[in-house]
Amino acid sequence: MDAAEVPPALLECLDAVARLEREAPPASRAALAARLGLDEAAAARRLRELEARGLLRTERGGRLRLTAAAERIALRLVRRHRLLERFLTDQLRLPWARVHEEACRLTPVLADDVADALARLLGDPATCPHGNPIPAADGTLTAERGTPLDRLRAGQAGIILRIEREEPGLLRDLAALGLLPQTKVEIEEVAPLGGPLLVRVGSARYALGRDVAARILVREV
Amino acid sequence: MLSCHGEIARWKRELPTSVALAGNPNVGKSSVFNWLTGMGVVTANYPGKTVEVQLATTRFKDEEIGVMDLPGTYAMGSTSEDQWVARRALLDAGPDVVLVVVDATRLERNLFLPLQLLDLGFRVVIALNLVDEAWREGLRIDSARLARLLGVPVVPTVAIRGQGLDRLVEAALREARAGARRPAAPRYGRDVEEAIAALAASLAAEGVARPWGLSPRAVALLLLEEDDEACAWARDLPDGGRILRDAADAAGRIAAGHDEPAAIRIARERHGLAGEIAAKVKTRVHAPSTAQERFWRLTTAPLTGFPLLALVLVGLFATLFWVGDALATLLTAGWEAWVSPGLRAVVHLALGEGAAARSVLWGVDAGVLAALAVGIPYVLTFYLILSVLEDTGYLNAVAFLTDPFMHRLGLHGRAAIPLVAGAGCNVPAIMGTRVLATMRERILASTLVCLMPCSARTAVIAGAVARYVGWGPAVAIYLVVAGLGFGAGWGMNRVLPGRSAGLVMEMFPFRRPSVRAMLRQTWHRFEGFVRVATPVVLVGSFVLGVIYETGLVWAFTVPLRPVVEGWLGLPAVAGLTLMFAVLRKELALQLLLTLAIAQYGAGADDLLRFMDRGQIFTYALVNTLYIPCIATVAVLARELGWRRALLISGFTIALALLAGGVAHRLIALAA
Repeated sequence: MDAAEVPPALLECLDAVARLEREAPPASRAALAARLGLDEAAAARRLRELEARGLLRTERGGRLRLTAAAERIALRLVRRHRLLERFLTDQLRLPWARVHEEACRLTPVLADDVADALARLLGDPATCPHGNPIPAADGTLTAERGTPLDRLRAGQAGIILRIEREEPGLLRDLAALGLLPQTKVEIEEVAPLGGPLLVRVGSARYALGRDVAARILVREV
Repeated sequence: MLSCHGEIARWKRELPTSVALAGNPNVGKSSVFNWLTGMGVVTANYPGKTVEVQLATTRFKDEEIGVMDLPGTYAMGSTSEDQWVARRALLDAGPDVVLVVVDATRLERNLFLPLQLLDLGFRVVIALNLVDEAWREGLRIDSARLARLLGVPVVPTVAIRGQGLDRLVEAALREARAGARRPAAPRYGRDVEEAIAALAASLAAEGVARPWGLSPRAVALLLLEEDDEACAWARDLPDGGRILRDAADAAGRIAAGHDEPAAIRIARERHGLAGEIAAKVKTRVHAPSTAQERFWRLTTAPLTGFPLLALVLVGLFATLFWVGDALATLLTAGWEAWVSPGLRAVVHLALGEGAAARSVLWGVDAGVLAALAVGIPYVLTFYLILSVLEDTGYLNAVAFLTDPFMHRLGLHGRAAIPLVAGAGCNVPAIMGTRVLATMRERILASTLVCLMPCSARTAVIAGAVARYVGWGPAVAIYLVVAGLGFGAGWGMNRVLPGRSAGLVMEMFPFRRPSVRAMLRQTWHRFEGFVRVATPVVLVGSFVLGVIYETGLVWAFTVPLRPVVEGWLGLPAVAGLTLMFAVLRKELALQLLLTLAIAQYGAGADDLLRFMDRGQIFTYALVNTLYIPCIATVAVLARELGWRRALLISGFTIALALLAGGVAHRLIALAA
């Protein structure tokens, strides 16, 4: 199935499921409704339509899973979104804090061939303005994926590649503490039962909650 | 509550010289503030914000100086609440000089803030604090060179012991009088500086009043950093669109040159500059001792940390109860032996033997005694323990270890201590929730604190349930309350809008605390408690006295009957005491016995004469769950506002009635 055959409202929904799985798994109907600003009944209707098209299945316990076909479409949407962010930042010079939201609005309605033209115009950029890799037109990811910091064990270290949550507030707070891309982070302790990580950055030590650490993508060293 | 704006304006107008204190959290900023100022500290809030600014006046060599203590922050952005308040207060006050307290052991991270303040155009003096710690760790810092590199005065200090603080104030006064000389601005990379300069020039050419009279360079930097407030200011200008486009253009050039957004690039360059300066001024003469470090790591390593935490908590409770109880007994005995007889004689002499005299005695005699016996012993002890935990740095380990549990309740680790404190007295515990950054977290934590049985309610559980029903049911009450508390927290976390911010907290190893600083801090907090709670307890006692002495209390029997007898299955007289115990919770039991004797005759001094064991259990359970007391409501209102205070109170009443009714029916079924 091609993205062009899916109506924009469903693409928006599919994109949101993919994001939830990436950013705050498990994706559930309630979380999806909250993310899309819909009531649960409306979210359920869209989910049923996605299921009818063979793009989604609901696991026991209510976890939403995209099918392989949907994953391919999701990757195309990621490409559109990140290209749009590049375009809005580099060409239209929109404030950095606004581009994510604007790109979200435009993503479902941008045709794939227009996205390809946009990529050519921008000189085939490798990453979005937040440092996340842009998938190629054939749906492959070339840039370094990185490991979420919370996957590392005590004693391991990594170099920050990027902060995944495209949320300016967190990014700035972490930046003020010196948790910037290209910075080395050493894990000193991982508290059990989903507790925080004790990390060392330069001469400073921080406790980072798991949810925060999961957004920090690193290259292991 | 004082509004920040008016208060700051008045503070600024009345004083010839004004100094603001800024710094990262945990660098000894409050030690500097406490040393500089004595009594008469005024706390001011911005509407809707929980983070406070403290204002005080101090005399130094016959000169009056106003001192403003800003919340501890790592930066001066406008995203998080503490940073917003710090920056807004600083901009509103426009102090003559900003004293930045920096941690000499973590210079590179700490220099970020003064660099940012210099960027905003403030006159800065640096207190290079914790030089003794740095010395022990084998670090030597060339403060003269640091002063040259930054272009601002630098004074080494050990604030906790008051060392270097006289010289610090002198330096601040010199700097404040230095006239029109502008501070040297830090220099970033060439392309960044060019972008700033170009944008600043076009802003200057606009000829518009800049926000808070900031320099063109400062506003240009804020716009490049995409600061929310600066962008909002630009949007409201007639030519705002063009200015924002110019700014986005300049930011785009920086972003294109470095492949990262301008805001991040500027943060990186500021960190880079801070690191460069730090590297130039510090030398390491020996490796830091690892013994202290290893010991500290034991407190965060799960295998040793959890047992240690359990020990500390048990120790905290034990101290709270033993020391608190001993103090309470001592104070009660002293009051009854030395003060009470005289007081009674005076009141009876003035007002005779009637109801009026007895009502007054409820207030001035029994009321003051309650403050002495419940407030002072437990609260003072708790504050002292809190100071020890805080000043040694152990509190951070507690927050680290308890974070996963607190997370389920929508809180994070920093909420653990106020919750434990609630077992002593809810009033200081609710004040203690100020360590939490957002209103959401404070509402959650305050509600949970209200469900924590304080020493007064424990007295009722012990005196009624443990004595007449048995230890098992007494423990069961705690378990039921704990379960309900956890359920309430879990439920509220799901219902309240928003999500809790993840934990991002600096951790630092143990520090040597100073006894004087700890006592001072304890006293400072205690004073706050006394100011809020004592008047409420005295008035509450008096009102209770009037209601009791005039016989008005019986008038409530009939309206309460359906709830008390029908739903809770308690005698009407017990309902009366539940209703009036809100004025003084520990009095519930005493009041119950008194009223029972009045109604049923002298034999009723044994609870079991007129209540069965199930009723006593239900009675204590309801008493434990509903509104802690009016002093708690008062402090809730002060901290969270009246609407939220009433909502929380209403919630606890509903929960208490529900739990009491269910307990009554379950007990009836089991019997």
